[in-house]
Amino acid sequence: MKVSFIRPSLSSIFKPILFQTLPNRPVNFSKISSPPTSLKPQTPLFLKPANYRATLSDLKKWQLWAKNLATSVGTKFLDSDNGPDSALLLRELGWLIQDAVLEGPTSLSSENNPSEVVVSLRACLVDLYLLWKQRIEERRPFQYLVGCEHWRDLVLSVEEGILIPRPETELIVDFVSDVVKENEVLREGLWADLGTGSGAIAIGIGRILGSCGRAIATDLSPIAVSVASYNVQRYSLQDKVQVKQGSWFEPLKEDEGKFAGIVSNPPYIPSEDIGGLQAEVGKHEPKLALDGGATGMNDLLHLCNGIASMLRPGGFFAFETNGEKQSKFLVDYMENESKGSFFDVKVASDFAGIKRFVTGYRAT
Amino acid sequence: MMISLLLKKSSFLQRNPLFSKPQFCFSLLSSLTQSHKFSTSIQNDSNLNSGISFLDKKNNWFSLFSLKRLEKIPSGIFCGVNFYSSQSHAAAAVEPSTSDGLTVEGILANNWTILDEDESDWKSHASSIAQSIHLIKKRLKWKKLLVRVKMLSVQLDKPDLWDDPVQAGKISREHGILTGKMNEVKKFEQELLEHIDMIKLSREENDTELELEAVKALIQMRRSVKEKELEALLAGEHDSCSCFIEVQAGAGGTESMDWASMVMQMYKKWAQRRGYGVAVVDEMPGEIAGIKRATIRVDGEYAFGYAKAEDGAHRLVRCSPFDSANRRHTSFSAVAVIPILGEGFSRYQIKESDLRIERFRSGGSGGQHANTTDSAVRITHIPTGITATCQNERSQHSNKASAMAVLQSRLDKLEMARQAQMNAQHTQSLAENSFGNQIRSYVLHPYRMVKDHRTDYEVSDADSVLEGNIDDFILSYLSASLDNDEDEL
Repeated sequence: MKVSFIRPSLSSIFKPILFQTLPNRPVNFSKISSPPTSLKPQTPLFLKPANYRATLSDLKKWQLWAKNLATSVGTKFLDSDNGPDSALLLRELGWLIQDAVLEGPTSLSSENNPSEVVVSLRACLVDLYLLWKQRIEERRPFQYLVGCEHWRDLVLSVEEGILIPRPETELIVDFVSDVVKENEVLREGLWADLGTGSGAIAIGIGRILGSCGRAIATDLSPIAVSVASYNVQRYSLQDKVQVKQGSWFEPLKEDEGKFAGIVSNPPYIPSEDIGGLQAEVGKHEPKLALDGGATGMNDLLHLCNGIASMLRPGGFFAFETNGEKQSKFLVDYMENESKGSFFDVKVASDFAGIKRFVTGYRAT
Repeated sequence: MMISLLLKKSSFLQRNPLFSKPQFCFSLLSSLTQSHKFSTSIQNDSNLNSGISFLDKKNNWFSLFSLKRLEKIPSGIFCGVNFYSSQSHAAAAVEPSTSDGLTVEGILANNWTILDEDESDWKSHASSIAQSIHLIKKRLKWKKLLVRVKMLSVQLDKPDLWDDPVQAGKISREHGILTGKMNEVKKFEQELLEHIDMIKLSREENDTELELEAVKALIQMRRSVKEKELEALLAGEHDSCSCFIEVQAGAGGTESMDWASMVMQMYKKWAQRRGYGVAVVDEMPGEIAGIKRATIRVDGEYAFGYAKAEDGAHRLVRCSPFDSANRRHTSFSAVAVIPILGEGFSRYQIKESDLRIERFRSGGSGGQHANTTDSAVRITHIPTGITATCQNERSQHSNKASAMAVLQSRLDKLEMARQAQMNAQHTQSLAENSFGNQIRSYVLHPYRMVKDHRTDYEVSDADSVLEGNIDDFILSYLSASLDNDEDEL
């Protein structure tokens, strides 16, 4: 896709960067400005210092170019793999401006002469061109572009290697909220979020537990552990949420049988579906967090088998699944294979009406 | 009567020996009087105090001065009726007058010619002020206001008032606001009469300096009262609230959707111009251009008071750029304006179980399969069928909260309409925002004109109107709807 977007004077500056073949791995904006250090979580764009300046007219030129690029997509991505359409991309562009420009989007409607107005940016203009090009041409997820995901009332740092928390998953925190509202033992108890990724669910739970309530977040991936820890700190929950590295129940051994609740959004996509995923997901998000084996149930079954011994009597669990088929299977499995171990095992739907979750309690 | 006026002057001079000459240094005076804390010393009546602190905020130096004076001078000597007595909020208060018996009504009846401000004829100023006061009273629905205040006072005096603290809070809040408005008007009347007294006095004493100052004060007052006329336009119960503005395209495809987006743009620019916060809550774009519908949230004082004048259908006539033959088209957009009620207003109680919450515009398997920043939510209130959607927030949680706020306001509006119907009060405002209720036409071809059908107010600079320059339309409508009311005051 050739898009000519700037006047000759500017394009001579940008050409070497923008029209060279971009490396296969997406270039991360923070790596452009600072030397990479492994496992040090990246600062989301909106939290970076506004160290860059640009005239309003140059920023507007970029905006116009970016708009045209977004508009040219039409419904192409939507039709091919249920990706974003132009309208959504334009909204994302607005958010990118919100995060990147110190003065916020209103500065773009200033009535003064735009070539004289100078705005402060959190990324240099060259990076903004680069980022939007990655968004459209490589389908790099918007959340990796800006280094954060708005989830519930949280803004979580995310980066390559971390599954971007999904809107559906917000409901798991709602389930927990409903449960602890009426039950003090659970409210003040110990919780676990297995395969925490960005730490989203654990942080969400950490904020609704009582003063004695604690949560442990685990993940196999070292990057996830470092990003989740960073997010926990951002919300000052260090004393409430502990992040541990390890596979599923392994890091929880010492607290076996003590958990008031265990929740998880484990990988649940069947291996054969991975190849056909939406580009943002398949090309950019970590397989470790997506691929649930041949049926997609490997990890879910492992979790179901383990929770009986981990949960205290009356303890609560909630798992996210791939949908109706997996949910129904899990409910049957838990009722038949581990007879009497659980009660009130239910399927719950997400806001799209898909039977997304399995919840229940350990028998008393 | 002369004596009292002289007393007024001399008592002031006694207390302020700085002024050896009988000269009024008004600016200094104002700074002196403003530094005094006086509100608690006047009366113990708490109702009155709320009204006075309202005045206090306005920093009107002259009223402070006159209040101060009233406090010091025994009311028996001072001929002006004991205006700020504890009865003052009752409708039956004695009408204030000048030393020679001239009342505000009297000034109005005299029909003195109103000249420009720069003419130094005091009668002209007085007449202009009296007219402004009259207009303000009319806009405040004065007689109803007095009755309402009296009713609230009775309720406030009941010993069991605070058994229901929520209700009591509402009553005392409304009483405070209405008393404040009432006292402000009474203060204007009092002030006007005092100025006139001062002028007459200075003439009798041949004190030209004093006369000049008093006339100056009168001119000052003429201006400030004129401004108050505008404020009184926004005296409705919810006028000070923020609001949602919704625009919906009528039938007619792309041309009509383009018109809807033009109307929305007009409001966004208007709101920005007024310094209000503007946030898009919900926007449904058209396939080719424009919007099918959109909702914006306008945050700021009196956003609803002004914007409510825009409720209704807006008609566009132009040669459509979307018509290959470039023919003339007529399209409609329906505008609805909904107040966002704050604390203290009775709100519609929504039951959680009455809600259906859905992901809006979602497709595919969702969950881990989909990475999307679109987390639009639609909430349906099942008993009423009213829905609200929001897709402009960055998380589903926030979209849900935002959609809930819209839904709450829609249900509040429905409830208000229901109550109004029950009270059979303003049946007119019940003419809902249907496309049948056409309020304004925007003609871009063959001539250019924007005309309001309710007021017949029109301008030819259609572009400026579409750029958000709609204040004149709003004000002319507001004043027409309040001032043309037949019943006096």
